[in-house]
Amino acid sequence: MEEKKSVLKAGASMLRDYLVLVMIAFLVVITAIIEPKFLSGSNLVNIMRQFGPLIMVSLGMTFVIIGGFIDLSVAGTINLVAVVTISLIQPLGQLPALLIGLALGIVCGTLNSILILSSGALTQAEALFITFGMSTVYSALALLYSHGSTMHFWDISASKSVFEAIGGGNIGFFSVSFVIFLVLLAILWIFQSKTADGRAICLTGGNKTAARLSGIQISRSIVEIYVICGFMAAVGAIVLFSRITTAAPVIGAGYETSAILAVVVGGTTLKGGKGSVLRTVMGVLLVVLMSNCLDLLGVSSYMQYAVKGAILMFAIWLDNRKQA
Amino acid sequence: MDTVQSEYILSIKDVSKSFPGVRALDRVSLDVRRGTVHGIVGENGAGKSTLMKILSGVYQKDSGTIIFDGQIIDHTTPHESMKRGLAIIYQELNLVNTMSVGENIFLGRFREMKGMRGTHAKAKELLENIGSKVSTTKLVSDLSVSEKQMVEIAKALSFKSKLIIMDEPSSSLTSEEMVELAKIIRQLKEQGISIIYISHKLDEIFEFCDIVSVMRDGHVIDTKPKSEFTRNELIMKMIGRTIENEYPERPRNVGDTLLEVRSINTRKLHDVSFTIRKGEILGLVGLVGAGRTEIVRALFGADKVRGHKVLIDGKPVHIRNPKDAKDAGFGFIPEDRKFQGLVLPFSVESNISMASIPRFTKFGFIRKSLEKNIAAQQVKSLSIKTPSTRTAVNNLSGGNQQKCIVGRWLEISPKIFIMDEPTRGIDVGAKYEIYTLMKEIAEKGGAIILISSELPEVLNMSNRVLTIFEGRITGEFIPETTPADRIMSAALGIVGGES
Amino acid sequence: MSKSGILTSIYKALTKQKAFIALLVMMIGMLFSKTNFYSAYNLLDMLNSTSILLILAFGVTFTIISGGCDLSIGGNLVVAGILAIKLLDVMPIWLAILIAVLFGAVVGFVNGFLVVQQKTEPFIITLGMGLLLTGVAQQLTDAHPLPAKNPNFMMISNGDFHGIPNLVIIMLVCFGISYWIMRYTQFGRNLYAIGGDYEVARYSGIDVIRTKWMGFVLSGVAAALAGVLLSSKLNTGSPVYGETTALVVNCGVVVGGTSFAGGIGGIPQSGLGLLVFGMLDNVMNMLGITSYYQVLLKGAVIVAIIWMDCFANKRKREAV
Repeated sequence: MEEKKSVLKAGASMLRDYLVLVMIAFLVVITAIIEPKFLSGSNLVNIMRQFGPLIMVSLGMTFVIIGGFIDLSVAGTINLVAVVTISLIQPLGQLPALLIGLALGIVCGTLNSILILSSGALTQAEALFITFGMSTVYSALALLYSHGSTMHFWDISASKSVFEAIGGGNIGFFSVSFVIFLVLLAILWIFQSKTADGRAICLTGGNKTAARLSGIQISRSIVEIYVICGFMAAVGAIVLFSRITTAAPVIGAGYETSAILAVVVGGTTLKGGKGSVLRTVMGVLLVVLMSNCLDLLGVSSYMQYAVKGAILMFAIWLDNRKQA
Repeated sequence: MDTVQSEYILSIKDVSKSFPGVRALDRVSLDVRRGTVHGIVGENGAGKSTLMKILSGVYQKDSGTIIFDGQIIDHTTPHESMKRGLAIIYQELNLVNTMSVGENIFLGRFREMKGMRGTHAKAKELLENIGSKVSTTKLVSDLSVSEKQMVEIAKALSFKSKLIIMDEPSSSLTSEEMVELAKIIRQLKEQGISIIYISHKLDEIFEFCDIVSVMRDGHVIDTKPKSEFTRNELIMKMIGRTIENEYPERPRNVGDTLLEVRSINTRKLHDVSFTIRKGEILGLVGLVGAGRTEIVRALFGADKVRGHKVLIDGKPVHIRNPKDAKDAGFGFIPEDRKFQGLVLPFSVESNISMASIPRFTKFGFIRKSLEKNIAAQQVKSLSIKTPSTRTAVNNLSGGNQQKCIVGRWLEISPKIFIMDEPTRGIDVGAKYEIYTLMKEIAEKGGAIILISSELPEVLNMSNRVLTIFEGRITGEFIPETTPADRIMSAALGIVGGES
Repeated sequence: MSKSGILTSIYKALTKQKAFIALLVMMIGMLFSKTNFYSAYNLLDMLNSTSILLILAFGVTFTIISGGCDLSIGGNLVVAGILAIKLLDVMPIWLAILIAVLFGAVVGFVNGFLVVQQKTEPFIITLGMGLLLTGVAQQLTDAHPLPAKNPNFMMISNGDFHGIPNLVIIMLVCFGISYWIMRYTQFGRNLYAIGGDYEVARYSGIDVIRTKWMGFVLSGVAAALAGVLLSSKLNTGSPVYGETTALVVNCGVVVGGTSFAGGIGGIPQSGLGLLVFGMLDNVMNMLGITSYYQVLLKGAVIVAIIWMDCFANKRKREAV
């Protein structure tokens, strides 16, 4: 009897660990049955397109969450980076604009970490409010910078456009953005699982006090997670506007919750310490598939927003129970 | 008609309580006569506070009978206990800091007291009855410790208690306040209220108590009217005979001065300075709250303390945080291994390796195989019982968890190893293993600063002890050649030896 | 007392009166401005526009005092407002309002369940609830403002009673009720105890779960009421105003002295804190600061306030 119980327990915990995969499979099968268009070539391309910006932001968010914190400022960062970068393409050239955009993401992340460190914020709740506030600040800066108008980049005279490439070009079989994603994923995965700093971040998230008393510099980890998150938000912003060739100063709206949702649904716990960028990839896949599926089924985007909120709550609740 | 009131207000018979790995109470029996002041003395870890917590309903006993005021008590809550007439005033005060005195006294009974006015009026009355002039509208956080104790007493009285347990009531009272307390105790006695008085201060025991019980290692050793005890007898019974083969021999290889600490000053600590030599085990002896943990935390950089000097091998070191301390050669086993020492959901391997990450990292990259070796080696040499190094450390027993922390630091061979309650909550076998480890560390030239609430442990393991009382070092002794009661007296702040 | 002792107590007193100082600074500053700030019309208007936020603040205070928080108030209020407007088509005003308020109570009930009974982290789960509700609101209105079809509805928030705006009166009534609950009922005092020290409260026999849960219900009710009043004021139901409301209200409460730590502050303090934001809005408008700069300034103020609250907690923690 005891053995039966423990087998069931093991099975249940495995299910919970790989729930996201199960759900993806489930979703794919059901949707394909209801709406065969789901598996069409154009739809799959569509899915890959949506994948791009969100995965970048979510990968960055993964680090913050593993570290035991949270970052709600990504929306604002995306807004700011998008409008600034786009506006600099013409006057400064593509590459400088790109680099400045990425640097700006790093600056935002650094600023976040400085505020959190200097205030002595140690809980996720405190970080939530501080970064939420900073999102407002960054968004406001974006609005001011762009005077509220959507910015375009006109046809770039150079023969090769970096941004066009990011937006829709291909390297052989794969789209450029996909390749960028793979490269960044590899780098981040190696960082997270194979470097000392990555380990320090996990330990900080696992138990800040124990980590600190073992000689780990948690302030360093905190700076790292927010800088990574800011940088990836910038990457996401660039991929996003490259695709649609415009940047409204509210372009980033909603990305913070989608990213958190993707991370949590992927199986990284909000309590910190454990998690993986690979899991986040699955989480993003699920989120993207889900909205694609809902689109095909004709569900309005507002209802989808509500569903996102509901699933976030469910995922948090489930995560909380798992850790209890 | 009237049932004859038993002469005892409280009867405890064969009560036992165990926690994982530790038998806190072992068939404890105790009777408290009505209208008496019954003193309980014993070392930290003797079981006094466990017993009190069972009486008040915070813990539930494993076995045995408790009869209070003629009623058999089984499975109770703190609130029910209060209502029944058994009040306890803890050492760690049970008040809401953000609320006023009056509201704290009647916490949860606002309606019963007819609102704010009634609350404060009755509270004022209660406080005046015990001679306290504290204003009932003052916030508890603004009170001194003694004033807080008065509030707790008033709270106990508000329940028309028949038995009041006072746990170290005088630990922070001035001598004038002590006079007041004496008056109160006398008043309570006149009102027929029984009191259990827990204290280390033998003067008070002899002054206030009618009957005294001595506890040690979860047992009640003796219960006698106070007049039949001598002071020495009490101390000896508290400490017990030191059982030599429970502990390995002390390390013999003591060398030159390794560490010198000068003038640690904080709110709690006053001008703490000491030295420690190579190969030495230095014990810090004192009551709970005396400042021992604060001293080592200041040393290790765990708390933000400035202005003191630390010299290692004669050279000054600046320690601002634990990393600096680690780099300077310190190791640290914290007091609370679960919340401060371990990352519970992580593996044994991760927990062991976490202080030595640079050792298995090359060019910033972790070499998993090196890490595995480190963990495996520590598991082997410390005999850590675990299914595998990948097991979550949460699943290990207390002793093995502690060994993981020890192993973590051993890996980097610290020069100075701080151990704060290293054997708390650990079974006897594992304890001996840790003692042996400590001896080995010392014999290899390391120094250990040992904090332990078990006096026999710290006296038997240390080459030298410092007694700490109210944030000050009150004495330095060699346990091997000093009688235990002299050391104990210094730890109790008794100046000039024993009577 | 030593020099540092005196400085510390002055610092302590000052930080306790953050809101008061902020108000003072603004009021003194406006004395030098060449605006109509000090006209009766403007002052009353300022109070009027802040009334809805004040009602929200009173509700949220119930959760914060007991150690939690409620970030779903934004979504709650928009749905309640829209619900009221939609129901106006088919039933009398009072019934529509009642149902909308009941809806708020249900939302609060669910929040309470998740936070208190299921012991989930309140900040993030109420955030999720807010999102859920915002989405629902958008769905209900198709993201277009929904006009009310009952002309009397508008009068609730826009009318006045002998010169005093209805909204201000309603707000004062809410203030009175909330203040009375917090200060003169066992329930209110228990909320303080729970926020001050959960374990001590539990040991004293207080039903911590039910009490804290009820706090969330009250917050939901207040949010729904605020939503109805907002819809009445604008005479439309719109999903727009939900977004940053939760943030502004929670921060305003902290400014006034009701700390996230729990057990500290109260209804008057929360009100004072929100007045700071209300006055800030008014001042910025008077000074002609463009709306984008307003958003920036407000965001910066919010961050500064939270930062100070965290810093105060840090100092408490590290006091050795």
